Amino acid sequence: MNFDVVWNNLPYLLWGAYPYGPIGGAALTIWLSLLSGLASAVIGLVLGVWLFMSRGIVHAGLVLFLGFFRAIPVLMLIFWTYFLLPVVLGFSVPELTTVVCALALIGGAYLAHGVAAGLRSVGEGQWEAGISLGLGRWRVLRLVILPQSLRRMAPSFVNQWVALIKDTSLAYVIGVPELSFVATQVNNRAMVYPAEIFLFVAAVYFVICGALDLAASAIAGKDDSDGRRAAA
Amino acid sequence: MNLSIFGLGSIYVEWLLWGFAVTLILSAATCVAATLGGLAVCAARISRLRLLNVPARLYLSLFRNTPLLVQIFFWYFAGSSVFPTPLLDWFNNPHTVTLAFAGTTWLSFKLPSFEFWAGFTALTFYTSAFIAEEFRSGLRAVPPGQQEGGLSLGLPSGLIFILIIVPQAARHAFAPLLGQYMNAIKNSSLTMAIGVAELSYASRQVETETFQTFEAFGIATILYIVAVAALEGIGELVQRRRDKKYGRGALS
Repeated sequence: MNFDVVWNNLPYLLWGAYPYGPIGGAALTIWLSLLSGLASAVIGLVLGVWLFMSRGIVHAGLVLFLGFFRAIPVLMLIFWTYFLLPVVLGFSVPELTTVVCALALIGGAYLAHGVAAGLRSVGEGQWEAGISLGLGRWRVLRLVILPQSLRRMAPSFVNQWVALIKDTSLAYVIGVPELSFVATQVNNRAMVYPAEIFLFVAAVYFVICGALDLAASAIAGKDDSDGRRAAA
Repeated sequence: MNLSIFGLGSIYVEWLLWGFAVTLILSAATCVAATLGGLAVCAARISRLRLLNVPARLYLSLFRNTPLLVQIFFWYFAGSSVFPTPLLDWFNNPHTVTLAFAGTTWLSFKLPSFEFWAGFTALTFYTSAFIAEEFRSGLRAVPPGQQEGGLSLGLPSGLIFILIIVPQAARHAFAPLLGQYMNAIKNSSLTMAIGVAELSYASRQVETETFQTFEAFGIATILYIVAVAALEGIGELVQRRRDKKYGRGALS
């Protein structure tokens, strides 16, 4: 094992051409993860609440819509947003935005079911209590049900965010210079020690995912293990 | 035969269908290998021997917390220094399998290239980790009373595990296992990055050749949905038969 190739290219792998060019590498991976993580949480919450509150044909339509995003590969969705977003919007869209859109949609579609399940897990009595206090359905949801169920949803959010961090690597296919992309650049330039380069890159992803996992379980405290089982 | 559909030329539809066939073969091979791998890893993980469960924990956390794409690149670029030499030679040389009987060739096909094997290896190691965890949660879903029931009947713990725990755990793990198979189909798309000519790769190729973006990606997307929906349908059928046998909700 000879990690010289990694040390020689370390700044490029960690933050790309910055400050002489656009930011890249691991820093861009983290930035992509933050943006798409946040967007997916918003989409997941909105769609999840809608899934929970809707009935009949609207509900069926929503299930179908979410099913579509859960059935196609992330890669395929990145292609779709990459080629269709400029056509639909009528102006060119940066690659970064297309990737964040695709990841947020996929993440949101997966999260929506987690959110709906979390809402369902709150007992019927809580609803009845809220309504007997004279609150409307939406106010019960906002004031009584959501605060209780958000804790139970936390594990599925963390799992989804870990999946999102890993999926940011797919930005590679449309040439966004995040960690996986710069790794292949370094690998193609060096032509030697591919094992060392990709082991190092895997380690960086591992640290990022692991940090999120640790932070989440530190916040969730001891009931994390129950939450995980409930989510499985 | 004219396969032209949605205004896309016959030859391009043929490319897409070949890509779909590669996707199906690659993911089927992955599912078989990863189910066996998942069983082995799960067994090691639940073992009381630290010599077995510590490496299993390490494997699970490493392979589940790093992107599949990076793992694919690793096996592809570093494969030559990781795979044992005889295996590598076998991967690198073209092979033709011929089934001949009484002087007539019944079936003859070429075995796939190194890219395919690198992709298959990456997918199998990755999927095994997820399947192992599904098996483990299946085991944990069996109530402790079942173990105690077996003990009170005087059964040895090995027999309790095989006769009482595993059959129930298998039923709990079935739906999540199908979910992982669906993931394997979707994940096989990442092998396009190392040049495996599967469905996503083919759709990209057709798009470049024809500029019929919408048709190329549309057909590929439909084919993925068909494959995933087929698995979903199988799951539904099995569930319904089980409901009939054990009564509705017997195991929920």
